[in-house]
Amino acid sequence: MNDTPSDTARPAALAIDTQLIRAHGLAAIVTLLIAATFGIVASLQLIDPGLTGDVTWLSWGRLRFAHTQGIMFAWLGNAFFAFLYHAVPILTGRPVTSARLGRWLFGLWNFAVIMPGWILVLAGISQPLEWAEFPLVVDAVVVIALLLAIVQFLPPFFSRGIEHLYVSSWYIIGALIFTALAYPMGNLVPELVPGASGAAFSGLWIHDAVGLYVTPLALAVIYFVIPASTRRPIYSHFLSMLGFWLLFFLYPLNGTHHYVFSVIPMSAQLTAIAASTLLGVDVVIVVANLLLSVRGSGVFPRDAGLRFVIMSTIFYLIVSVQGSLQAQMSINQAVHFTDWVIGHSHLAMLGFASFAAAGGLAHAWQRLPIARYNERAISWAFWLMLVGVLVMVIDLTAAGIVESALWRSGAPWLDSVVAARPYWIVRSLSAIPIVAGFVALWIGLTTGPDADVRARTTVAS
Amino acid sequence: MAYLVASVAGVVFFAMSVVLLGVLPTRALNADMRAMGPAKLPTLTASEQRGRIVYAREGCAYCHTQQVRYVHADMARFGAPTLAWETQFDFPQMWGTRRIGPDLAREGGTRPDDWQFAHLYAPRTVVPLSVMPSYASLFDGAANQPTNDGRDLVAYLSTLGRARELAAPEGEARAREACHCPDDEMAQMAFEMKELNAHPARARRTGPVPALPSAGDRAAGLQLYANYCAGCHGATGAGDGPAAAGLRPRPSNLSAHRYATDRIAETLWNGVAGTSMPAWRDQPLDRIAALVAAVQSLGQNASVDEASRSGDDLGARVYAANCVQCHGERGAGDGFSAASLAIAPTNFLKQQPFQSVALRALTSGIDGTSMAPWTSRLSEADITAVVHYVRSLYTGDAKEGRR
Repeated sequence: MNDTPSDTARPAALAIDTQLIRAHGLAAIVTLLIAATFGIVASLQLIDPGLTGDVTWLSWGRLRFAHTQGIMFAWLGNAFFAFLYHAVPILTGRPVTSARLGRWLFGLWNFAVIMPGWILVLAGISQPLEWAEFPLVVDAVVVIALLLAIVQFLPPFFSRGIEHLYVSSWYIIGALIFTALAYPMGNLVPELVPGASGAAFSGLWIHDAVGLYVTPLALAVIYFVIPASTRRPIYSHFLSMLGFWLLFFLYPLNGTHHYVFSVIPMSAQLTAIAASTLLGVDVVIVVANLLLSVRGSGVFPRDAGLRFVIMSTIFYLIVSVQGSLQAQMSINQAVHFTDWVIGHSHLAMLGFASFAAAGGLAHAWQRLPIARYNERAISWAFWLMLVGVLVMVIDLTAAGIVESALWRSGAPWLDSVVAARPYWIVRSLSAIPIVAGFVALWIGLTTGPDADVRARTTVAS
Repeated sequence: MAYLVASVAGVVFFAMSVVLLGVLPTRALNADMRAMGPAKLPTLTASEQRGRIVYAREGCAYCHTQQVRYVHADMARFGAPTLAWETQFDFPQMWGTRRIGPDLAREGGTRPDDWQFAHLYAPRTVVPLSVMPSYASLFDGAANQPTNDGRDLVAYLSTLGRARELAAPEGEARAREACHCPDDEMAQMAFEMKELNAHPARARRTGPVPALPSAGDRAAGLQLYANYCAGCHGATGAGDGPAAAGLRPRPSNLSAHRYATDRIAETLWNGVAGTSMPAWRDQPLDRIAALVAAVQSLGQNASVDEASRSGDDLGARVYAANCVQCHGERGAGDGFSAASLAIAPTNFLKQQPFQSVALRALTSGIDGTSMAPWTSRLSEADITAVVHYVRSLYTGDAKEGRR
């Protein structure tokens, strides 16, 4: 009834897209290093606030805008596009709509969204809305690019008939359509609806950005890479689909959990809290299905692509259960506004999403005929990123607990700032293994033997 | 077919989320705003509006929330929880989701403008332990020379919480009535606070001061002094800290005064209204006591200043003719016009300026206060005499009203 992604190389007729895979994949890592640099400088400014002098372009607020928008659009966006060019033809047996459209999409995404977006927010033209800091003029291009992505990637699925879709295909379709729908909620509506109501809409996008864009595409990668690497089907197609639909039903209803104990009507807050709790249940279903599918592969299999996505799956479980807990009023009251939440968001974006994206890239690269692939470097990337993200998340979670305790004790505000300092230092230090991991990822995708050599050595052995 | 149904259901669920978490709350909030908000709302001026844009573009909202939650820990620190109508002009909202610095929803009226300017220009000169970035680019090279952007930003900061302050108490009564929420414990919290702004740094003219532990730890106090006070008052207390130049009136020269214990305690606890001296009501009492001991030790070379003659008749006459209106008959700073002055006149019973300081105040005035120079009205002999007289009023820690 459904097709599992095969491990066979793509048919020659479908090879038109390899340039686009490489372009998006390498752009992903270049922009990842830039976006990470923004984050690192911002984190160092908390330790030495005078670090960048009076250079307004590098002031903390603007760097933070550039950091999160860069991670979401530049790194994850490019990495997911690269993966889509690899996966969609395999999932559907058909080419994507057009290579020419692909070049336009690449150009728009990188040179009409990310580059101008970064330049504008650093120059002080932005909107103060979380996950929506690029100004409206860039938002318009994002919407155009999302529509182009729909035109590029979805027709192959529909021309095939949706009765035969594998779960990854569902996630891809869902992600592209719902991101286009959700995007204006956080980027446009709060400009038109004031204060508390605007916050309600912002909440929708803050969660949908993660829930309808990042999560489905990361899960599409995971569901794709696991069977393709292990050469075994997913444990249960039923659980896959159950997880998919529950996710798309529940995620959008989470938004208001960012504003618990606010003046937004309690009915909306409680709806969001209930949905957040149920979402944890859904994630347990999804993760159980995924982990049952990799039984026998070990937690750290040899294939680095598979290793990345298994770790991503584990992160997904932890971050989601944590999210369900954080939405509960008693816990939210304590940890909201603290570094705990910063730890949570890094567990989601750097742990779950980035590991899936890196796994998708590593997986696709091994199968790209003209690409070099250095397995040792990719393996290094995995371990370095793993150490880094664990240190950072544990550190920030602890910082959040300390800050929360001080705030509730009524201690002077500055006490919480002073107490956070050692944790902020550790957080900045965690950037060393993380960035080293990113560099290793770059090395892994640009050095080493190309596919022909790899094929020959495989045959020889 | 089943998938088609599911797909439609997916879109319906998304629409449901927009309706349940966006559209319906907005309708409820709009109804609340209409019913609970004052009939006429003060809008932002052009300058305040531009300041809001500066606040937005610099990402202030990413360290400072603008939303006091319906949570007692928030209320104790910042004040009354945010009502919907207060956010009516926030396009777009800047509620924020992270607090590295404190919430600013009730910042208006908490600090004077010159404090804000000095703090934005060089945060650590005012708050040595702060990690806030400097916004020197909003200034022309000095804290008292803000650019238009800097002026606009501070104008905007002064609006935070203003609408609700202006609406009270009639506005509070109206909101509470329209709330129809006698049984809604959480909604009631909005009206629980005696003062809308509970910021512990907000200076107030008078207020009860809790009893301090008797002996403050001077060494600990000097450390606290370095962390909290030296930015304005200077390392030695001479009133020459790095932030001092931008402040008007200038920070007190703590090393050229003698202070009674309760005078320092009261100043620390209540701040000095009308000046940049904030209150420190968030500090534990043992720290306040330690600071009192430290500040007293700064003026300890007072012995070299004991050239004061007492019982001088001329001084008393000059004082009675010129100073009592503000400083009061006994010198307690309680003259009949004292209450109408923006900054309370000095209480000489509790605070003894060194001779040089008193002399300078009389000959040059104290910039930023109502104390004007007296050289045109008093002769040199008069001034010298009245300096000796006011210095003789000091009672220290003895019971007030010795005379």
